[in-house]
Amino acid sequence: MLRSHFLNMVILSVLVSIFFAFLTQNDRRERLKVMAILLLSMVVLSLLIAYAMFPFPLNSAR
Amino acid sequence: MPSGGFSALLSCVLAWLLPGAGHFYLGKRRRAAVFFLVVFATFMLGLLNEGHSYLADRQQPLTYLGTFANIAIGPLEFLSRRSTYHRLVYALPADENSPEAQVLLTAMRDKVKVVTDEYGTTFLLTAGLMNMLLILDAFDIAIGRKS
Repeated sequence: MLRSHFLNMVILSVLVSIFFAFLTQNDRRERLKVMAILLLSMVVLSLLIAYAMFPFPLNSAR
Repeated sequence: MPSGGFSALLSCVLAWLLPGAGHFYLGKRRRAAVFFLVVFATFMLGLLNEGHSYLADRQQPLTYLGTFANIAIGPLEFLSRRSTYHRLVYALPADENSPEAQVLLTAMRDKVKVVTDEYGTTFLLTAGLMNMLLILDAFDIAIGRKS
């Protein structure tokens, strides 16, 4: 079992990036490009959203 | 408009039975291997992370979408469903207070209590959704809409 939220997110992002690269492109170079763009987008955007949410309390009822 | 003598229906059925099998049948061997590995790895990570399968519940319409996404992975789904409910069951009985419904809900709650359940469930749903796209892609290739 993988308990790390970040590791799970990165693994899922890698798998989804590979999947969509092979689904949408036929050329090797284009696949690598799509894979890199998708992977970076998913990981970086997730970190940015997490950072933006950081000031909010986990439980507002407390 | 069939392409290359391939049956669109057969390619879709094969794609559902085993991730990548539709593409293998259509002669896209390398792509089929990659799709199989990616979807199978996603599904196995879902199982290893103790993800749970959804049950269709009349009172919660979104569970129908979850159940549909689970089923889209094909017969592999039996493994995750058995691991969650210890048998093949797809819908919650209409009466949630019935003994059968209580057994199913308890089985689901046991999974939800596991700390990695949400990760696992996400992996399982993602694997199903990816296979759904593979079925549509195989159909497009079979009818000549895509190479």
